[in-house]
Amino acid sequence: MAAAQAGDQRAYAALLAAALPWLRRRARGRWPAASAADIEDMVQETLLALHQSRHLYDPASPLQPFLFGILKLRGAEIRRRRHRHAGRETALEDMPADTGALMTQGTQEQDVEQAGLRKALASLGARDRQVLGLLKIRQLSLKEAMVETGMSVAALKVASFRAVQRLKQALKGGTDEE
Amino acid sequence: MKSEDLVERLARNLAPVRRLPSPGALMARWLLVTLPVLAAVTLMMKLRPDLAVLLVQPRFMLTEGLAAATMLSSAYAAFCAGRPDQPVWKLFMPMAGFLLWLTELGRQCFVLSVQTDGAALVLHADWQCVPAIAMTALVPAAAMVWLLRRSAKFRPTHSCLCGTLAAAAAAEFVLPLFHAADTMMTVLVWQMGSVALFTLLGALTARLGLNTLG
Repeated sequence: MAAAQAGDQRAYAALLAAALPWLRRRARGRWPAASAADIEDMVQETLLALHQSRHLYDPASPLQPFLFGILKLRGAEIRRRRHRHAGRETALEDMPADTGALMTQGTQEQDVEQAGLRKALASLGARDRQVLGLLKIRQLSLKEAMVETGMSVAALKVASFRAVQRLKQALKGGTDEE
Repeated sequence: MKSEDLVERLARNLAPVRRLPSPGALMARWLLVTLPVLAAVTLMMKLRPDLAVLLVQPRFMLTEGLAAATMLSSAYAAFCAGRPDQPVWKLFMPMAGFLLWLTELGRQCFVLSVQTDGAALVLHADWQCVPAIAMTALVPAAAMVWLLRRSAKFRPTHSCLCGTLAAAAAAEFVLPLFHAADTMMTVLVWQMGSVALFTLLGALTARLGLNTLG
């Protein structure tokens, strides 16, 4: 560890590699009920804390109490965090995937549908968007739309029919380029 | 990430570090800053005229001794708390001194209130002493935060609490040398009150300071 404090990377790598199984064993001994993932988290947190606080180590003292002290503090912190979160967590396997509890907000489904419709509309041509906007969104009469676009009633009907077909196609995920 | 990969990455990013002095050496540095400030403020405020009489009273010497013990043990505990290999008894050592000090002050307050038949409840508002009290606590507190910035890597709240208790006890140690405490309320408000106030404020703000400086 003294060599690691001086910047010796090989000595440090050897030290950490030797410490790894020792830390796992000590963590398992101290928290026998902890899961394997939690033990690994504790070991990794201990290694990170050792790296960040290696300037605190006094080479005149043995390293094991220093390392075990970090493991005790970081391990207890992880256990506390897990315990705190456990009360607020629900296992997802226990509920159907379409349950309302998974929604983040009440209008979620509606918002998804609206977003899809906007995307499909944007993929249409300018003429189609104009016709649909006038007749379907603003709900103008054919005569009113005729005044705004300068198209005849018959042409508006045909354009509206084709625009709706293309929109359906776009909503299905394809585009009608006919 | 696998632990073996983490080991490899940590070893690759290793940089040399400057070893931190021991808790005892850090405490010596803190005293080196604190003691001259305490002496300067005491001399500036002028020593109490009855100090010579007080110094031979066991009651006065006991309170001063307990304040000094709390100051030294708290400072040492503050520097120990940030290290993972320090035993727990060192971290809670100042609590024993502090409780004894509190008990002794409480006993003295009780004696004063009985002897003066209620007059001890009168509070003298000595506002001119506030800057001196603040100075004697703030300079040691600032020195403590500066010295703790690299050492409080673990148990930072305990470090901050002990550090501010040390600073407050330092102020309290010199306060009776230039400020008379004739009534129970004066003792409670100006002496123990300042200790409680500085300790709580310090514990609340020092973590922020440590995070910024560290």
